[in-house]
Amino acid sequence: MKYEVVMGLEVHVELATESKLFCSCSAKFGAEANENVCPACAGMPGMPAVTNKKAVELGIAAALVTNSEITRTMFFDKKNYFYPDLPTGYQITQLFAPICRNGWVEIETGEGKKKITLKQIHIEEDAGKLVHDNRTGTSLVDFNRASVPLVEIVSNPDFRTAEEVVTYLEKLRSLLSFAGVSDCKLQEGSMRCDVNISVREKGSDKLGTRTEIKNMNSMKAIAAAIEFESQRHIDALETGSEVLVQETRRWDDNIGETFSMREKENATDYRYFPNPEIMPIVISDEWISAVRESLPETAQDKYIRLTQKLGLSEYDSSIITGSKNLADIFDETMKYFNKPKEVVNWIIVELLAIAKGDNKGGDDVKIDCKKFAKLIELVDNNTINRGVGKKLLSLVWKEGIDPDVYVKENNLGMVSDTDMIGQVIKNILTMHSKSVDEYKSGNQKVFGFLMGQVMRELGGKADPQVIKKLLTDLLAGK
Amino acid sequence: MNRVVLEDCIMQKGIPVTAGSKILENFISPLTATVVNKLLDHGNVIVQRAKMYEFGIPNFFTDDSDEIPEAIKVVKDGVADYSLCNDLFGKYRRNAAETGCCYIHPTYGTVSRFGLIPLVSSMDQIGVVCKSIPEGLKLLSQIAGNDLEDGAMFPEKFYDYAKNKQSISVGIPESIVNKADQETQSAIKEFAEKFNSVNVDLEYFDVYKQVMMILSCAEISNNISRYDGIKFGYRASGYKGIDDLYIKTRSEGLGVETKLAAIMGAMVLSKNQYTPYYEQATKIRRLIKESLRFDAYDIIVLPCCISEDPYENLSLFALPNLVGLPCASFSYKGQGIQLIANVKNENLISTAWEVCMA
Repeated sequence: MKYEVVMGLEVHVELATESKLFCSCSAKFGAEANENVCPACAGMPGMPAVTNKKAVELGIAAALVTNSEITRTMFFDKKNYFYPDLPTGYQITQLFAPICRNGWVEIETGEGKKKITLKQIHIEEDAGKLVHDNRTGTSLVDFNRASVPLVEIVSNPDFRTAEEVVTYLEKLRSLLSFAGVSDCKLQEGSMRCDVNISVREKGSDKLGTRTEIKNMNSMKAIAAAIEFESQRHIDALETGSEVLVQETRRWDDNIGETFSMREKENATDYRYFPNPEIMPIVISDEWISAVRESLPETAQDKYIRLTQKLGLSEYDSSIITGSKNLADIFDETMKYFNKPKEVVNWIIVELLAIAKGDNKGGDDVKIDCKKFAKLIELVDNNTINRGVGKKLLSLVWKEGIDPDVYVKENNLGMVSDTDMIGQVIKNILTMHSKSVDEYKSGNQKVFGFLMGQVMRELGGKADPQVIKKLLTDLLAGK
Repeated sequence: MNRVVLEDCIMQKGIPVTAGSKILENFISPLTATVVNKLLDHGNVIVQRAKMYEFGIPNFFTDDSDEIPEAIKVVKDGVADYSLCNDLFGKYRRNAAETGCCYIHPTYGTVSRFGLIPLVSSMDQIGVVCKSIPEGLKLLSQIAGNDLEDGAMFPEKFYDYAKNKQSISVGIPESIVNKADQETQSAIKEFAEKFNSVNVDLEYFDVYKQVMMILSCAEISNNISRYDGIKFGYRASGYKGIDDLYIKTRSEGLGVETKLAAIMGAMVLSKNQYTPYYEQATKIRRLIKESLRFDAYDIIVLPCCISEDPYENLSLFALPNLVGLPCASFSYKGQGIQLIANVKNENLISTAWEVCMA
């Protein structure tokens, strides 16, 4: 290949704090427009910024999991620009003394292992959201997201392929979500990625003209945007069909192309200066150790624990540790019912199937783990059979029923009385004598039909193992 | 029960607050300032809100010393016992002293700015117009103390301004005092004779006003950027598109002095000017702080006027704001003088006042 693609990433991650960065408004996603807004985050005068300590701690956590050098005296700066979604006319961010610098993240692709180096991570506040109403030709602004804390993770231009980019993002997502820094959801915008991309002839040490691509909200879109944009650069270089300019381009997922955002030339002087409202924050050794000690298990450590200590398969373990949410469900459920193989099986086979029916993936599954554990236990100790268990799971999922109570109230306990089951089987065999004849003449499939009839007669509550044994014996004429 | 007047930059929930600007017309305070709550807790009564120059920015280049702010008039005329305002450029200190009142500018970070319309965040400090320094400190002790709603404060919850020191030594910057008129010079001389006095050289005094101007304009340009006509306050009519909305609203809503400050501020923060202006001013600000020798004297004495040019006079008032020092101005022998002490040493100013007035 004649050309080399050079990319650097700016990844914005919303910090998982309860409240905003400089006021006590809720930082939760999904509220009504302008529900989580106070005078401070609406840009009104009179409320000095007071830093959310938890956000700084999550920033320290992000620094630790990315092997970064923490700035011992960090401070915030003001970045000035006018835009209706920016209530104060300035964004509080970090330019001069970001929380950390010079980190790295190791990724593994088909090409082997590689260290992606980071320039810096800084803490900043998010802006609000503009909604354009084409019907009336007006714009509406929602400040719920204004002043929600973010970290921006700025990498060096170390990426050469889309695969490296996606692998790095997956790795970051795993590191940050397991450390509790962020839930890192691309779709909800709690993780956003801008790609700086340029193309040069292989072997050259000079960088080509750089463009920045924005507005990708899935891994697929990121890979596709990189593919498109690098090809556009290569075409321009080869054919001279267009002159590349340094600019910001927006990815349109429907059309599958990038478009120039035509930013104004004069909008680029942000007049940064240190924020005098907020005192410099000293990050002591003690504070760093305290954050380090409070860090939860990483995905990698959890994978090792699941495979080596709990004896789970590599496949199951990788599914569980591929999502912070599933890993949390696993750990929480294990607190109430300590049989790892059973728990993993129920999560991967049953819970994910139900979730999929509701169009939810592993990151969005929510279940009451105590009830979930109870349900697994009821099946495991033969109080109910697995079929009843599955039905109950969907009731726990949908209606939050208590499995214990529900089983008792609806008399769903497993029937294991062999005399009674034997009697039912005899009745069924009499009713379906034709099928019995077919079975005897060698049609094994009929066995399943007969089992089903018996189970139905017993309201689905019988122990299938008992039915199977009795039915086999009776058909054999014993 | 003291009668207190609030200047129109201190918020009372539900009551309009404009900071003297058209851009905040019809803006209703969404909250009550911490100082107001503290005043009420101590049984004081808010009797009035005082009109003010837009955001408290005086005329930088035209002498307006005979225009007395309402916050001072009400105390002078006995309408109120005290008033609270935010003196950034010395106008209140000078006018208070010249009308026979006192102005106490407390140590930066000792009085909460929650509920104060911000102008220069690194210097904003609510101060007290009063009849005498000890009385003023009594009121100050009611409103001072750490507030978690203001992130740039000292941790102390209360301040005891009654502590006494037996002998006070005063520093007289003679070269500056000599620029004042004869009456003021002899008043300061008489004042100095009541104490151990030393001549002090205020290093960098010649650039105080420039440093003050650069830093305050930078912060003003930033702090008033929230007034954009989008969310609250004044919005011009007949705009076409968002840029036009900003330009018309701010052109019509802001006054000349504010615009001047905003333009200068935007200039000194711009990419090419940041290093020679803003950064340089920040460095000199630090040098000014380091140049003070409060081990050699307890308080510094300065006149309230050395020139007809308000920009020249700005240097006289810059030190407390740049370094965050407590300061008080008052009339002595009919002349306006001001005393500046080290951080949290308001009591020394009070002691000196009592000695000289005895």
